[in-house]
Amino acid sequence: MTTTAVPAEPVPMRVSYRDRLRRLVSPMLFMTPAGVLTVAFFFLPVIILFGISLTNLSSSTGFKNYEWVGFENYVKIVQNPLTKLNLIATIKYVSLTLVFFNIGMALVVALLSTHISRRAGFVYRALWLLPRLTPSVVYIMMWKFIGADSPYGIMNQHVLEPLGLSTANWVAARPWLFVILTNGFIGASFGMIIFTSAIESIPRDYMIAAQVDGCNAWQRIRHVILPMMRWPLLFVVTYQTLSLLTSFEQIYLLTDGAGGTEVWALWAYHRALNNYWGNFQWGFGAALAMVLVAIGIVASVVYMRFFQFNALVQEPKIEAM
Amino acid sequence: MTWKQRLGSAIPYILLTILTIPVFVGYLWIIISTFSGRTYGLVPVDSQGNFGGLTLENWSFLWEDPNIWFVTLNTLLLSVLLTVGVVIISALAGYALSRISFPGRKTFLAGTLILHAFPSVTLLISIYFVLRWISNLPVLGKGLPIIGGFGYNTVGGVALVMVSLSLPLGIWLMKGFFDNVSWDMERAALIDGCSRLRVWWEIMLPSIKPGIAALSIFTFITGWGAFLIPYTFITDQEKSTLAAYLNSLMGETAPVNYSRVAAVGLFQLIPVLFFFIFTQEYLLSIFSGGSKGGT
Amino acid sequence: MKVLLENLSKHFGSVVAVDGVTLDIRDSEFVAFLGPSGCGKTTTLLMVAGIYKPTTGIVKFDERVVNHLAPRDRKIGMVFQSYALYPHMTVYQNLTFPMRLSKVPKSEMEARAKEAADILGIGALMDRRPGQLSGGQQQRVALGRALAKQPDLLLFDEPLSNLDARLRLSMRGEIKRLQMELGITSIYVTHDQVEAMTMADRIAVIREGKLQAYATSDELYDQPRTLFIAGFVGNPPMNLIEVEVLQEGDSYRARRNGFDLQLSEARGHKAAGRGKVILGIRPEDVSIGDRGLRGEVYVVEPLGRDDLLDVHVGDASVHVLADPSLHLKIGDQVQLGLNVDKVQFFDPESEQSLLWA
Repeated sequence: MTTTAVPAEPVPMRVSYRDRLRRLVSPMLFMTPAGVLTVAFFFLPVIILFGISLTNLSSSTGFKNYEWVGFENYVKIVQNPLTKLNLIATIKYVSLTLVFFNIGMALVVALLSTHISRRAGFVYRALWLLPRLTPSVVYIMMWKFIGADSPYGIMNQHVLEPLGLSTANWVAARPWLFVILTNGFIGASFGMIIFTSAIESIPRDYMIAAQVDGCNAWQRIRHVILPMMRWPLLFVVTYQTLSLLTSFEQIYLLTDGAGGTEVWALWAYHRALNNYWGNFQWGFGAALAMVLVAIGIVASVVYMRFFQFNALVQEPKIEAM
Repeated sequence: MTWKQRLGSAIPYILLTILTIPVFVGYLWIIISTFSGRTYGLVPVDSQGNFGGLTLENWSFLWEDPNIWFVTLNTLLLSVLLTVGVVIISALAGYALSRISFPGRKTFLAGTLILHAFPSVTLLISIYFVLRWISNLPVLGKGLPIIGGFGYNTVGGVALVMVSLSLPLGIWLMKGFFDNVSWDMERAALIDGCSRLRVWWEIMLPSIKPGIAALSIFTFITGWGAFLIPYTFITDQEKSTLAAYLNSLMGETAPVNYSRVAAVGLFQLIPVLFFFIFTQEYLLSIFSGGSKGGT
Repeated sequence: MKVLLENLSKHFGSVVAVDGVTLDIRDSEFVAFLGPSGCGKTTTLLMVAGIYKPTTGIVKFDERVVNHLAPRDRKIGMVFQSYALYPHMTVYQNLTFPMRLSKVPKSEMEARAKEAADILGIGALMDRRPGQLSGGQQQRVALGRALAKQPDLLLFDEPLSNLDARLRLSMRGEIKRLQMELGITSIYVTHDQVEAMTMADRIAVIREGKLQAYATSDELYDQPRTLFIAGFVGNPPMNLIEVEVLQEGDSYRARRNGFDLQLSEARGHKAAGRGKVILGIRPEDVSIGDRGLRGEVYVVEPLGRDDLLDVHVGDASVHVLADPSLHLKIGDQVQLGLNVDKVQFFDPESEQSLLWA
């Protein structure tokens, strides 16, 4: 192949309209269902969300008597005393879960399970996948019972009482601990799987060389494995940050925002779609959600630049239709 | 081996076991609790608080509460609709994005990747309005048999929303699987007389069966355990899905009969455990393509 | 069926993969596209198949322009390097798949599949799946699939490259025999010049997307038109030595440091007076004797029937095929006789032959 210039006089070709039509229709056949749903449930909602965030639409105004209020809802967010609290809760939730579980625990499990027999390592990793597969309501119920009051709770009954320590209803007493544990045990599996395949793809020669050079297990991890995991680590951090930022299902089921665990996404959900008073503030909730959407869009664009999207996309090697 | 080396090689096992205990304990509790009148921790006890009190009483909901079967069928319906929808639509779009050059291909791919990391749950507010709009359509909105329709407060509507929100993951995975099919084989099929649609159906789909199986199982489990979206878009909790039904058991009836709740929970877990035991490899492989994490 | 490629080009972005290829293929002819990997020969073949759309140029089958015809409407059969069998179908299903798509009646389908299987000796494998077959058997099935649909044109994309050497040899003969018996126009892409030379009626040598030559194997071998062809065709490859050709009275001499060769007038005068030119001579056209250029044996590679010697003449290296019974060793002093009726000359700048331009 060469990179010489395009010949000056291309031979003109007969254009067949049937061929052109086929080239248009064939991809559409495949793309239409996905395209329609994407427009209906992603693009349209983003626009609607932005639109609603500029109104005072709520269940008290109904769908007829709302007014356009410009950016008033956003001003309200800035002025709301809860903003600071919920922002802190969100940062706390995202950073602690990320550090201790989605990265920390994921890395520990990946490292440990790749240093034991293949079969056993596989079994442990599969067990760590279970929390993600378990229906959230059942999963949260398990945790509620682990922390439940004496004499029912497992922690109280089997750990604290035998040691003579005081008992409590731990979910209520330590809401943050349980929020992070429940989300962490689900979130760890994602990083764990990515890290495991990264570790397993490190050439064996490196490991053998390190052993020959007299590295112990810790030195091998520190100097051979971790430096080669920069990209997977970065990938999991960026991806999971966004993911944590917008997840609230488990918190909703566990504490419903009690004890200072009202994270931003849950706040928006409460205000707009689910609260005790039955007053759905769609306008305000939409503005809250829009903040997350904006963060999501910016983060995704940065993330694509960073991970070289174009390298992932090959040109199809068939041009016939 | 010296005892020291033995200990050294046992350390990873010990550590892993300790770290994994909460998962064990949770499952252990749910199983024990289901067959007990009540439990103190993991110990089944009778009404005096002594060991014993084993019973099948907790499972009586299966024949006493007619709602459970309605809810189970609804959940099954939702899971099947979700699985069929996600697999077919993702396989169609994933094929085109992987294999056909058409204007807008790169844009759509980039879009898929962005949506993939997109805070879709925050769109629930406006999706609520989209569903209400669909409700107003004749027949399609709320006039269909079995699934109710595709609008607000119908199983079909919830399935439609969940299909859409699952598409970025599904399409990306399917594209990845199609990327690995030999180009020569597809060329051969085109020369042998296939159209692109026929190639997709006769040659490509059979070649990515493991991928389809993985996505199907994962999607089915997702649908089976779905809580937030059915809970938000179906108003009557007792007629929505198992997860919402279970949640309503915990909220209203005070004091909560945990053993009974556990039984319903285990009932919901059975298909998940079944799939888990027989298809772990598939499920572990689904994320290695580089994909979406829930939390 | 006749095939005509007219000024055919294919660009991938800014990369030109095929650049203005024009050639005609006669009815029942067996043509090879020969070139190193990445030269654009497979891309050209895929344009003939309709898998790729030409950027410019025309593909004609008989008198008909087929540029916009889908692959399935072109009545072609194709055999791939990777076999490209459908792994989820049995051998029988693979063989009949094209016929099933074109709705051939079941009885005829069975008869044609059986006939193809019998010709290729895969009749006993009909119920197996491709995964259970050896590479050679898989390639026979692939060939059978292409033949059973009774195409007007057969395309081969390096079909033997994945087979081991012995199998390659026997399949080579078999494909050639089948093609002659059935008389189906065929295009055969290969990077292996032995395959091209032994099988094809005519060979199109392609380099960097451009057609270098289109000729019979004898012509390519004896009258290479470019330096590239001279170096590419023939094994062991032609010696290429930079010399200056001088006219001294009636005689022409090719000279360089330690190298002085008397040339024939017919060939010599075309290279004379041009400054530096490249002299080409095939190793089999050099003989060891007691007259000629003096050199020293540098390397001896026993090939069995011959020894391949690398002889240093001055600072030039000349490969020679020698009789093993001479028992030449490294360091031996020898004298080389070059067959002056076989020497070639090329312009080092344009790389064109000075003899056959």
